[in-house]
This record gives sequence, structure tokens and C-alpha cells, in this order.
Amino acid sequence: MAQPRVHFTSSNLFITLVWIAILVCAWEIGAAYIETVKRTPENVLPHLWQIVQSVFSDKAVAGGLTARQIVLNAAAATLARAGIGFAIGTGIGFGLALLMKLSGIVEKIAFPYLMIIQMIPILGMAPIVLGITGDIGQSRIVIAAILTFYPVAANTLAGLKSVEPEKDSLFLSYAATRPQTYVKLYIPVALPYFFTGMKIAAPLAITASILVDTLQGDGGLGCMLSQSLKHAMSIFVFWQIVFFSAIVGVLSINAVTLAERLALPNERRARKWSKA
Amino acid sequence: MEQSVKDRVSGIVLPVAFAAVLLVLWQTQALHAILGTDTFTFPLPGHIARILAGNVPKILENLSATCTVVFGGLAIGCVAGYGISVAAAMSPRWGVGGLRVIGAFNAIPIVALAPVVINLTRDVSGDVEVRSTVAKIIVVALLCAVVMSLGAYRGLTDLKPFSEDLLLSYAADRKTIFLKLRLPNSVPHIFIALRVIVPTSVISALISEYFAEYIIGIGRMIRDNITLAQYATAWAYIVVACGLGIASYAVLLLVEKLVCGKRWRT
Repeated sequence: MAQPRVHFTSSNLFITLVWIAILVCAWEIGAAYIETVKRTPENVLPHLWQIVQSVFSDKAVAGGLTARQIVLNAAAATLARAGIGFAIGTGIGFGLALLMKLSGIVEKIAFPYLMIIQMIPILGMAPIVLGITGDIGQSRIVIAAILTFYPVAANTLAGLKSVEPEKDSLFLSYAATRPQTYVKLYIPVALPYFFTGMKIAAPLAITASILVDTLQGDGGLGCMLSQSLKHAMSIFVFWQIVFFSAIVGVLSINAVTLAERLALPNERRARKWSKA
Repeated sequence: MEQSVKDRVSGIVLPVAFAAVLLVLWQTQALHAILGTDTFTFPLPGHIARILAGNVPKILENLSATCTVVFGGLAIGCVAGYGISVAAAMSPRWGVGGLRVIGAFNAIPIVALAPVVINLTRDVSGDVEVRSTVAKIIVVALLCAVVMSLGAYRGLTDLKPFSEDLLLSYAADRKTIFLKLRLPNSVPHIFIALRVIVPTSVISALISEYFAEYIIGIGRMIRDNITLAQYATAWAYIVVACGLGIASYAVLLLVEKLVCGKRWRT
């Protein structure tokens, strides 16, 4: 289908770029002001170009490593654990949703707890998880998994329940077995909901992993962040991590969206049709 | 569909029974064997209850500090977020772009946001307690404003088909359309946003306390007591934090029922 040609100045991309430019200007004005009133402006609000410069600088800031190397090494440790926790949480969440749909008893037991778990500040419990597991790597995985598990389970269950009873009856009339009904009807219907849950969970898993890092020195992003704040190394490591984690958070949502498009190409087409 | 009495009773009995089983496993230390931990890091419920009862004044002091941050930030953030969404709904073309950029804030970890805000607010007041509270409230308010602006914008613009055209055909001006159509339409969406915002504000308050200059608050107590290896005390504060989370959510559900009961269904 040929898209009607839109002038660039009225395109969505242009508007987004203008907003980003406004934000950058506001930041720079703030930084210029801070520069005049503070003795160490880079602790409060450095210029954006200073942060970019520090990314490409080859000057060693700690232990013979440049700021960029420190951030990337730390990111590998943190994101790997966040990824494992996310995968485990997703698996458990999907499995529990399926169990809850299959068994009324499981649903009755688990559903109130699924409600309560979203009201409990799990991240506030991170230190105690560290106390119990005694290992920072395991704690990161556990916390990321708990935070992932809830949105995935809740959304998948909503998806499984959104199947119209007539469709179930139709499958029954075709003498489909229960496993067949699930594989061909319930799970495909629930998949878009499942991906929505993952989109909510992905940035949570990363935040959780970074937060757990701050509790103990083990070279994760959060650990470097707090060390840099305490001036154990260049403060620009801190600023790099702030931007890095924000960018990774956004990218994690995009990654799930991409996975969704690859897994459900027809879904997207169907949505386009229903819009048209 | 009317639920049968049997269904409703089992819906209450089963979860309560599950909790009872967990509590028994916990008290008899079977849970400790499963998790591979000891009563020092994972104290028995009776022990935690005794600490709670023995530290009431100190716990209340920290609870009130945390509540100031949670509800102060929540109120400011929601009003600001709604204001942003109204502004965006006035000129949707630019508004959507702005909201898309704001939405990116959603992905910024609180851990990165809190130290930035605390550094920025060092000159607010000479009193460390005041400026630290201001910083924490700003962190909570920022996160609330993001979620509220995105949710309320949908409520203000996602109108029933032709309802706006109908009002236009009555020669209604923009103010009337806003007051009679957009505003009422956004109310259920405000509550949907609040269901995300209320737990978020509790969590972000606890975490901003980790980084705050002034040492007070439930979150800070959890962390500091664990650093001091006072696990039982930390658990007592965790119980308080969970209580705060559940209580504030319950209040929200109650308000939602009172406000939306007759006119709106969410």
C-alpha cells in the first residue's frame, strides 16, 4: 500500500526530534548555569558533550581501564543476570498462568497472591534476598525473576481467559483433545498478551538487577554507579551509567517488540487490517 | 454471572489455608530447610512480631517520613501528570510526540534517577532533612507524572466514536467539550493509571531513601539494618513496607469504588 507523502516537518519523527532538541537545550541551559555557581559542576549537571567526550576518551579512570571499558564490563555482568532472571521469571509466569487456567483450585489459591505481590515493594526486599542467598549474582537473578513473573503471569492469564467460549465449544465439537485445544487455540490467543507482559517486565528486570548491584561490590552497573558517586573514580562513569541504563531500558522494550513481530507476523497484519 | 456460594467460600478458604500452611512451615523451620537458610537471616514470625511490638515509636517515625514522601510525591506527580496530558490533548499532534519522549522516562531505572535529583537539590535548603525530603518527593513525583500523563492522555482523547462530533454539532465550544466529554471520559483511565502509580510510588520512595542524605525512612532502615546484620529488625521494616503497600492499594480500590461505582466501570 502506498503511503500518502507527508512533509517532513509534520512527520512524527520530526516532532519527536524537536522535543528531544528542547530537552537537550533545557539540559544545556541548566548545565551552563550550574557551571557559573558550582565549584565542581560535573557532580551536579555536566554538559552533554562532556559526557559524550568521556565515552570516547582513552584516559584510564580506575584500575587502568577507561570509563567506557568500566561501564561495558559492568553492563555485561548486570545484564547477563537480568537476562537470566527475566527468562526464568517469564517461564514461571507463563507456566503458572497455564496452570491457573487448567485448574480452578490453583487459580483460587494463587490469584489473591498474584494481586498482593504487585502491592508489595519487592525491590525494597532486595537486601534481604541478598541476605538469604548470600550471593550477589543469585540475588540479581532471583529479584529480576520475581519482578518479571508477576506481569507475565497476570497478562498471560488475561489472554487465556479472553478466548470466547464458542471457540472452545467448536474445538470440542471437532473432538479435539485438551492438549490440541491449548496448542491451537488458547496459547495462540494468549501470546499477544504474553508479549505485553514481557514489555512491562523487561525494564523492571534491568532496574532490579542494577539496584541489587548497589548493595555489594561485585562490579555490576549499580556497584560502579555508587562507587563513582563516592568519587572512587571519575564522576563521568556515573553519568555514562545513567544514560546507558536509560537507553538499555528503552531498547529492552524494543527488543521484546521485535521478538513479538518475529514470532507473530500474522498478528500484526491482522491488527493493520482491523484498523483499516 | 452469579458465583455459587461454594465457589465464593472456596475462593476465600483456599488462599487462607495456603497462607496458614506457609506460616506453619515458616515457624517450624521447614521453609528454612527448603531455602537453605537459617533463623538468623530469616527469623521466625514470632520473633519479627516481638521486634515490631518493641519498636513502635521508632517505626512510626520512619513510617511517617516514608508516607510524607509517598503521598506528597503521589499528589504532586498526579496533578502535574494530568496537567501535561491536558496540555497534550489540546494540541494532539505535538502532544503525542512529547508524550513519546516522556514515555522514555519510564525506562530510566530509579537507581539512576535518585542520585541525579539528590545532587540537583542540594541548594534547596540548608536543613538536610528538608532538602532530602524534597529530593525524594521529586523522584516519586517524576515517576508518577510520567505514568499519569500517558494514562490520562488516553482517557482524554480515546472518546466514544462520534461523541465529539455530536457535541460539535450542538455548537459546543472547546471548554464545554473538555468539561462535559473529555474530563468525565478520563476518570476511569486515571484510576487505571493509579493502580500502577500507587505501588510505584511506594517502591520509588523506598529506593530514593537508599540514596538520600538524611537517614530516615522504611527503605533506608531495611537496608541499614541488613548492613549491620540486624536481620530480624530489617524483616520488621519489610513487614511495615508490605503493610504500607497493601494498605495504600486497598484505599485506592475503595476510593475507586466510591467514585466510579455509579457512573463508570473500570
